[in-house]
Amino acid sequence: MPLNNYPLYIRSIPTENELKFHYTVHTSLDVVDEKISAMGKALVDQRELYLGLLYPTEDYKVYGYVTNSKVKFVMVVDSSNTALRDNEIRSMFRKLHNSYTDIMCNPFYNPGDRIHSRAFDNMVTSMMMQVC
Amino acid sequence: MSVPDYMQCAEDHQTLLVVVQPIGIVPEESFFRIYKRISAVSQVNVRDSQRVLYIRYRHHYPPENNEWGDFQTHRKVVGLITITDCSSAKDWPQTFEKFHLQKEMYGSTLYDSRLFVFGLQGEIAEQPRTDVAFYPSYDECETVEKRIEDFIESLFIVLESKRLDRATDKSGDKIPLLCVPFEKKDFVGLDTDSRHYKKRCQGRMRKHVGDLCLQAGMLQDSLVHYHMAVELLRSVNDFLWLGAALEGLCSASVIYHYPGGTGGKAGTRRAQGGSLSAEAGNRHRPGALTSNGINADTSAEIGRAKNCLSPEDIIDKYKEAISYYSKYKNAGVIELEACVKAVRVLAIQKRSMEASDFLQNAVYINLRQLSEEEKIQRYSILSELYERIGFHRKSAFFKRVAAMQCVAPSIPEPGWRACYKLLLETLPGYSLSLDPKDFSKGTHRGWAAVQMRLLHELVYASRRMGNPALSVRHLSFLLQTMLDFLSDQEKKDVTQSLESYTAKCPGTMEFITLPDGLKLPPVPFTKLPIVRSVKLLNLPTSLRPHKMKSLLGQNMSTKSPFIYSPIIAHSRGEERNKKIDFQWVQGDVCEVQLMVYNPMPFELRVENMGLLTAGVEFESLPAALSLPAESGLYPVTLVGVPQTTGQITINGYHTSVFGVFSDCLLDNLPGVKTNGCTVEVIPALPRLQISTSLPRSAHTLQPSSGDEISTNVSVQLYNGETQQLIIKLENIGAEPLEKLEVTAKTVNTKEKLYGDFLSWNLEDTLSQFPLKPGKIATFTVNIKLKLDFSCQENLLQDLNDDGISVSGLPLSSPFRQVVKPRVETKPMNPPEGSKAGDFSHVKTLEAILNFKYSGGPGHVEGYYRNLSLGLHVEVEPSVFFTRVSTLPATSTRQCHLLLDVFNSTEHELTISAKNNEDLILHAGECQRMAIQVDKFNFESFPESPADGTQFANAKQLEEERQQAKALAASSHPPEEAR
Repeated sequence: MPLNNYPLYIRSIPTENELKFHYTVHTSLDVVDEKISAMGKALVDQRELYLGLLYPTEDYKVYGYVTNSKVKFVMVVDSSNTALRDNEIRSMFRKLHNSYTDIMCNPFYNPGDRIHSRAFDNMVTSMMMQVC
Repeated sequence: MSVPDYMQCAEDHQTLLVVVQPIGIVPEESFFRIYKRISAVSQVNVRDSQRVLYIRYRHHYPPENNEWGDFQTHRKVVGLITITDCSSAKDWPQTFEKFHLQKEMYGSTLYDSRLFVFGLQGEIAEQPRTDVAFYPSYDECETVEKRIEDFIESLFIVLESKRLDRATDKSGDKIPLLCVPFEKKDFVGLDTDSRHYKKRCQGRMRKHVGDLCLQAGMLQDSLVHYHMAVELLRSVNDFLWLGAALEGLCSASVIYHYPGGTGGKAGTRRAQGGSLSAEAGNRHRPGALTSNGINADTSAEIGRAKNCLSPEDIIDKYKEAISYYSKYKNAGVIELEACVKAVRVLAIQKRSMEASDFLQNAVYINLRQLSEEEKIQRYSILSELYERIGFHRKSAFFKRVAAMQCVAPSIPEPGWRACYKLLLETLPGYSLSLDPKDFSKGTHRGWAAVQMRLLHELVYASRRMGNPALSVRHLSFLLQTMLDFLSDQEKKDVTQSLESYTAKCPGTMEFITLPDGLKLPPVPFTKLPIVRSVKLLNLPTSLRPHKMKSLLGQNMSTKSPFIYSPIIAHSRGEERNKKIDFQWVQGDVCEVQLMVYNPMPFELRVENMGLLTAGVEFESLPAALSLPAESGLYPVTLVGVPQTTGQITINGYHTSVFGVFSDCLLDNLPGVKTNGCTVEVIPALPRLQISTSLPRSAHTLQPSSGDEISTNVSVQLYNGETQQLIIKLENIGAEPLEKLEVTAKTVNTKEKLYGDFLSWNLEDTLSQFPLKPGKIATFTVNIKLKLDFSCQENLLQDLNDDGISVSGLPLSSPFRQVVKPRVETKPMNPPEGSKAGDFSHVKTLEAILNFKYSGGPGHVEGYYRNLSLGLHVEVEPSVFFTRVSTLPATSTRQCHLLLDVFNSTEHELTISAKNNEDLILHAGECQRMAIQVDKFNFESFPESPADGTQFANAKQLEEERQQAKALAASSHPPEEAR
């Protein structure tokens, strides 16, 4: 999600009940905003991009990551999945970020448009497969 | 206790709870009027002391909550005020009885009570009683406030005595064990003499005294007591009460730190107190305390510094308290309320993240089975709290859940109205506004998937509310703003339901005002269809107005004294962007072309599509169109008739799609190309229609000057023939035709033309002017052609082939040498040859007749119209002079000119020449004729070929002349005799 918080890309497995995830991610933006604004202006430059666990719900854990240009990545994972520790999540975000950077390098991509990149798609799919 | 009070905030701990209730039949309106007046007295500055009492009024309080009064004294109903309507003395005993019954309900905890009787007058009312006040009516009760103050003072006295009673440490006496309702059975048979038990009793009592101190306005005392209670209770692991003591500590600290209050509403309530609140504020300010030498609360200065919690500690203690509460399932309500209170404090401290943790916890506190109404209340309050900490999305989420709860299937009577109202409140959280303008520019704002869902819910709720206009409006909004995000199937579904709604209630362009004052702006369908360009079209050429030249010149000169100025050129350029350089005419149909396309996956029917204009009265003639699915750009022409003159601006267009009427203004459309929207409408001009005696021509003239020909007629003539063209001029407009000018122009200039091609006499026609509308005038044009056919090599070839002896001088022609074999194969059949339109025989000539006409008001303004008639003339050769020779005549001054005349037509011809008898020529016949002519000196013959125009075949003759040296021929053009 870029600065004005509309989704650029959403993927979920399983695909049913997708709207629920929409809600989860949407509401998690409150926390992201809060976390960003909590960090002082001076700290913005050297801040950690990874925001950590945004909030736990009964079934899911919501993690956040914000790039320096305030593009937000939010990941919702099953809380029962114990294989995912903080470090794994962190590396997944880094991968996402790299892939996103690749998209931005595409001269035909208009920043702010929805992402329809096949490479990005494949990367997300592979990441999801790995986790499940 | 089962009913949580979500409105609670920390400073409620210092209030006294007073229940105000009606008994008997009291009109609700009157009751709430009195209730409002009573609750205005929320702070009372007690006589002789600096202390302030805070009162919390409730008109409804569940008695089971009252049972927790020992646990936290602010939950205890200490005062009861009943309001009753009693019109006759007869009813009085009964009413009084009811009052007592009511007192019984809260009996165990009440300090005092009052009965306000309205409407009763007479004997009973005159008896002075402390607990009963009589007022003649709801309007005459000026002393209510005073009464309440007295009542509160009496409450204070009881409170103070209780506090003093409990506070004095009678260590010798046995301290009763205070307990909450669910604990009672746990202590049955417990050893009451153990140290542990005693400590527990002491701790609980301390806490209770702390509560009382807080209520009595002795903040510092209460802090001390709470601290002691915490110590005592911690040692005996009495967690529930420890939690309560900690919470009390927090409350007292909050009251100290935030005199403004933590509950938003409480703050405003306090502000009403005026001078009282100012004093209350003073009390909390440390400086004010020290400067005031005499202070009843002696513990204040000592205890303040060390007993009061710091803002950070408050939160830690709240956390601790809540964790203790959570150990007890029955204390869920207490835990929930503590969470709510803590969140309010955190909101003031602007620590949103921690607040959200508390709220998150509160969400999971499982109370017993909640009723639907309680659920709604719970979600609403969660939403409100999230809003307060700035989590607008979360707030919107819970508000939406609350809204859905209003209409849960388990509810027998779904509250669609409430649901709708709540849903509307969620809009800002989803960055949705109901104004389509916010979505017309730039990228989409907000989370489309979620927004769509919400809009669907709004549509459904408004439909169930029985307000179809509203659902149409929301559905239109959904379609308009979310079009890019809807799948094809969804598009179909949405439009289908929209159509079914509009069948009952068509969508309009009016604002819809909701009962609570919210205005829903209209939603024009600017995307159904999408308009890409708007182009104002000029009138058809024949109707285009022209300005008289002289007037135009004047116009130019008045604009600027300079011939050229870069500044003016610049500004003119800008002007041109807006204004168009052609004019429309009043009363004539004008057209605007839109390029539209249909983004929907199915056929789009647009009805009643017309123009929106300003400046000039304009009669728009709506069109209906049907656009195929996902069409490309599709031209649509909208027409209308300007009724007055002046500047007309095309502002936009209106449509009716799926039964929704929309007015789309061009200003609000993104990405629309336009060549300008303002055009001048000039006064009405007459319209001329011409019809001729000749058949219409299939040929269309390609005019050189760019103006188009409205009508084309064609005529076939033999060379030299004259024909009359009768033109009927009909005024089909509404204005009289006053002026007419006719000019002619020959287009085809390749051929050499002799003599006047077209001639006319305008006088006859003009005598019929002015031509009233609907009247017809006639105009006659003579067409006469004299062309040179001498180069018709084919024809000559034909002649040779025909075996006609050609002797003497051969006719020289540049084409002579090129003999085409195809000609030879052609049988010489004269009638067929001419009929088949052998083009080599036929020459065409084209001319344009221009009719400039004007009349009516447009004429006064100096405008005229130009109508062009295209004339297509096919000329066939009539006779040829195939050979020319001379013979000397009897006189030396004269000679005989011998001409071989060939009739190329299929008719019989009579040729008459000067002084000769007529020669009759049959079709295809060639005969020699002799004409006697005078000889003349060649040198003296004028060079000008203009003289030769007399001859039909001048070129031919000229060649002859050169060879004959001195030869002049004179021949009358052959007359055709059919």
